[in-house]
Amino acid sequence: MIWLISRLYTVFFVEQVYGPDTWMRLAVSGLILGGMYAVIAIGYTLVYGILLMINFAHGEVMMLGAFGGYFAFEALEAISAKSVENPKLNFLNAQPLLSVFIAFLTGMLVSATVGYFLEKIAYRPLRNAPRLVPLISAIGASTFLQNSGQLLFGPQRRDYANPDILTRGTGWIINVGGSKVMLTYTGVFSFALSIILMVGLYLVVQRTKLGRAMRAVSQDKKTAALMGIDVDDIISKTFVISGVLAGAAGVMWGIHNGLINFYTGFIPGIKAFTSAVLGGIGNIPGAMLGGIFLGVIEAIGPAILGIDFQLKDVLAFSILVLVLMFRPSGILGEALTEEKI
Amino acid sequence: MENILETHRVSKFFGGLTAVDTVDLQVPEKNITSIIGPNGAGKTTFFNCVSGFYSPEEGDIIFMGKPIQGLPTNEIARRHISRTYQNIRLFGNMTALENILVGEHPRMQSNWLEAIVGTPRFRNDEKNGLAEAMRLLKFVGLEGLGDSLARNLPYGAQRRLEIARALGNGPKLLLLDEPTAGMNPQETEEMTLFIRSLRDQLGITIILIEHDMQVVMGISDQIAVLDYGKKIAEGTPAEIQSNERVIEAYLGPGADKLSEKFRRKKKSHEPQNA
Amino acid sequence: MKSTPVRNGINAGIVFGILVIFSSLTGFTLTATKMIGNAVNTMKLMKTTGAMAWVNLVIFVILLGFFAGWMAAKRRDPDKISDALISGLVAGVIAGIIAAAYAFLIGSLDAAKVNLRNYLPYMSKDAIKQFLFLKKNDLITPALMHFGYTIGGSLLGAMFARWIVRGKWRLNINQKFVEGSTSLASLPWVVNLRNSAYFRYIALGLVFLALFFIPRSLSSYWNYIIGLVGIYVLMGLGLNIIVGYSGQLVLGYVAFFAMGAYSFALLTAPEPHHIMLTFWQALPLSVLLAALTGVLLGLPLLNLRGDYLAIVTLGFGEIIRILLKSDILAFFTGGPKGLRQLAQPKLFGKPFHGDVEYVYLITLAVILVIFVTQRLKNSHSGRGWESIREDQTVSQAMGVNTYSSKLLALAIGAGFAGLAGALFASRNLFTGPEDHVLMVSINVLCLVIVGGMGSIPGVILGAFVLKGLPELLRDLELYRMLAFGALLVVMMIIRPEGLWPSSRPKLENQFLEINNSPQPTGESGEKAG
Repeated sequence: MIWLISRLYTVFFVEQVYGPDTWMRLAVSGLILGGMYAVIAIGYTLVYGILLMINFAHGEVMMLGAFGGYFAFEALEAISAKSVENPKLNFLNAQPLLSVFIAFLTGMLVSATVGYFLEKIAYRPLRNAPRLVPLISAIGASTFLQNSGQLLFGPQRRDYANPDILTRGTGWIINVGGSKVMLTYTGVFSFALSIILMVGLYLVVQRTKLGRAMRAVSQDKKTAALMGIDVDDIISKTFVISGVLAGAAGVMWGIHNGLINFYTGFIPGIKAFTSAVLGGIGNIPGAMLGGIFLGVIEAIGPAILGIDFQLKDVLAFSILVLVLMFRPSGILGEALTEEKI
Repeated sequence: MENILETHRVSKFFGGLTAVDTVDLQVPEKNITSIIGPNGAGKTTFFNCVSGFYSPEEGDIIFMGKPIQGLPTNEIARRHISRTYQNIRLFGNMTALENILVGEHPRMQSNWLEAIVGTPRFRNDEKNGLAEAMRLLKFVGLEGLGDSLARNLPYGAQRRLEIARALGNGPKLLLLDEPTAGMNPQETEEMTLFIRSLRDQLGITIILIEHDMQVVMGISDQIAVLDYGKKIAEGTPAEIQSNERVIEAYLGPGADKLSEKFRRKKKSHEPQNA
Repeated sequence: MKSTPVRNGINAGIVFGILVIFSSLTGFTLTATKMIGNAVNTMKLMKTTGAMAWVNLVIFVILLGFFAGWMAAKRRDPDKISDALISGLVAGVIAGIIAAAYAFLIGSLDAAKVNLRNYLPYMSKDAIKQFLFLKKNDLITPALMHFGYTIGGSLLGAMFARWIVRGKWRLNINQKFVEGSTSLASLPWVVNLRNSAYFRYIALGLVFLALFFIPRSLSSYWNYIIGLVGIYVLMGLGLNIIVGYSGQLVLGYVAFFAMGAYSFALLTAPEPHHIMLTFWQALPLSVLLAALTGVLLGLPLLNLRGDYLAIVTLGFGEIIRILLKSDILAFFTGGPKGLRQLAQPKLFGKPFHGDVEYVYLITLAVILVIFVTQRLKNSHSGRGWESIREDQTVSQAMGVNTYSSKLLALAIGAGFAGLAGALFASRNLFTGPEDHVLMVSINVLCLVIVGGMGSIPGVILGAFVLKGLPELLRDLELYRMLAFGALLVVMMIIRPEGLWPSSRPKLENQFLEINNSPQPTGESGEKAG
């Protein structure tokens, strides 16, 4: 702990290896990444809260949503919207807002559908089985979906066709410490959307009837059923919501990072799970916090620790390992109740 | 050594809740003690303290002269204390004999290396272990069911298997948590006789948590009554039956007067069955 | 939802309709039809190459329809023929409509010269042509053909399902089989044979002869495959101890494999460290190092619950892989290029060459590992593990030191993986980061679960099925992982105990046989006790 603080001090004030502009850049990219992790993490936490299982296939749900958005953009790009001034105009650029909206809708719809069927086929029959069984099924589903992605769309990476106003790499330039730092349009857009989604979800869970039902089912299935709640239906809806979030995150990922393929969901999936655990699995604000926290750490961690950026995944995994070892309940989570004796 | 078990001011807290409040208990050797009390009185929590599942925040628990509070449960088992559970907790996917064999774990002399190599000491362990397990199987009346999966056994057999397993480490003290739960009168009668035989034939000291008052009154040498974590009464069955505080704890304030009337009526009609 | 024939039909129809589309999109249809063609050709039923190639597709479509019908009809006990027919018909119609619509769509897009290959790489021109029954410029006929054949197949499937489900002949055959085998088993000379020591020795001898001669008569390729299966058996047995016996779900098992392989490599390769021990020196060290890794990994993680342990070990496995691949640690690990020129075993001064000797070596290792596992299983260590898996809290209350017990399971399981890793590396004379990907962990987990958790024969069966079978079905290489995933899900739903589930030891019988007491009345389980 002491080492960490002294290291922070050194890096920031003494050595000045990186200027404030670099730190700003790293912090910004960390926040953007973190926002996406947070949105995916909520999906994990929702499912865990309600079924006490880790939805291994969640990363793949995100990946398929990303592809949904990709195809939407491709289709919209192919539609012509010729006008006199601009004979090469396509729908995508003629109506960028609408296009983006449609892309998100498509992605979220795809992911929601996948999530729905995932639960129905791979998890529901195993509702009462010992812990290990649905876990294996989840692993199987994840492998299946990942390879479906590979077989359907091929192994090569695909480039997201953003509308021109959201071209990757363009953005506002601000002045930090004498140097210029760019806040990309795509980045700001992603982060803003992440926040909106997080707030939206929080409101749904806290204020709506559905949210109340979800919380009831996650506390005690049997009692909730006795109160007249259709538990199966609520669980389905939870998966749908979690899918919607993952799909949105997938499209965001595509828009901001550009390249997607069947493997795109795997690492973010694990990172998002790490975030959920960091914040306290089963705890929604925790997932949000954990996601942003992990994103920032991943971005500025290697710089602080002076290690190569190649190892940033190692950093994320190490944080996962350490958190689970020393504080499995996470930052905001409740202590995992020991079994009743 | 007079008392095989003594607890001094044992207390267990969960956050703001005091589950067990300065409970003193003295259990003489080869005694059958019952712990009774309304639901939530802290009986199972007390059991958990004695059997090592919980570590009491205050107080000590002395077994055969040595303090055992806070010891890990496997150490407790090594010291010849065993218990059964309110909701039967057998190893469901293992056979009855395997369950009992696990109960004999503290008695095993050989280690894993010897198991691989196959030393005589290991072979003896296995041979003696199986013989002992068969003996216990017969003792609880489950002969012939040794190779059945524990989860396939009928309820009564499961309860008895749990006791057989608890006998595996040659216990001097046996804690039984609601041993007659879910049993009909005939099964209850058999279980009561069986518990007595554990003390009479095997010399085991027994502490039980029970809700069935007939069992409690019929079998116990002494009874301790808990309410809201505190011990509110202690004594022989006769003493407890007429104890005001106990009656109030179970039936509410003022109930004592009612039951006084009832007891007088009952006495005039028929003799008590012991 | 009440299941009526119509509803079953609709469900099955939709599922199979989607299956048709999926199969076509992933190019599976093309591959499958090729395989069907090969099979039909070899059976010399008819030549289905060249112009007649579309017959293969017909067969494929009929098969799909068949299964659709089967699935629709078998859900309820079809008492009436009409029920089965209705299910089959509805399923066929629905699936057929979907297939036909899809065919129409594909045809139109193709005619409009839309290059689908951009988006769906497996929709090659060949695939599309073939899907349309090789009919050019005709959109209606292929669609109708799909529709028709699907319905036909579905009806067939439904009838077949009804025949199977209702058929008393199935019960009869089953009964006869059981009767026959029990009477055979109780024939006096059979009983004597089974019990005589000679029989055991002769049987063992035959097995050993087989093990000796078979590898010699197989090609190098098959020996390689057998060796690979053997290595996976080793890993399976190791993971079986960790997951199957002690119930700790470890998802990063490849980390131990990597430890074994890399220890071996680093100890015997000329670069980067030039230690260059011999095979027989490095092997036990690798195993020990891997076992040590198991212990070190376990120490901090022992208190974690099932899911968390799984994720953490997965993370750990990935950490190891990334570290091995990184350039920073290349000075120690050899980096992404891997390590070459590893040691080969030398027996009496002669080095191994060729796969036959390696097969012997691996077989020996497997036999050794089976022996150790079996011994441990039937000891209080093994029972301790299983009790931990069943109920850890109570297990500890019985006197089992759950902490050291779990560590022991990890150590031994990791050690077996290390052995596998070292042998693998030695045989390939190479190891690199790509040998130690997450997929290996998932493969091993798959074969343990599918084979039968906690069951030694199950694990061996699982290894053969999941590693050997794909080699026999080379053409389906692309779809292997897909099948893995689906298989895991399906197995968990229909048969979570595995293909060859573990059987509990019949200790009471054993005891009574040894002591020659008369059996209690009624076999175990019937007496009320």
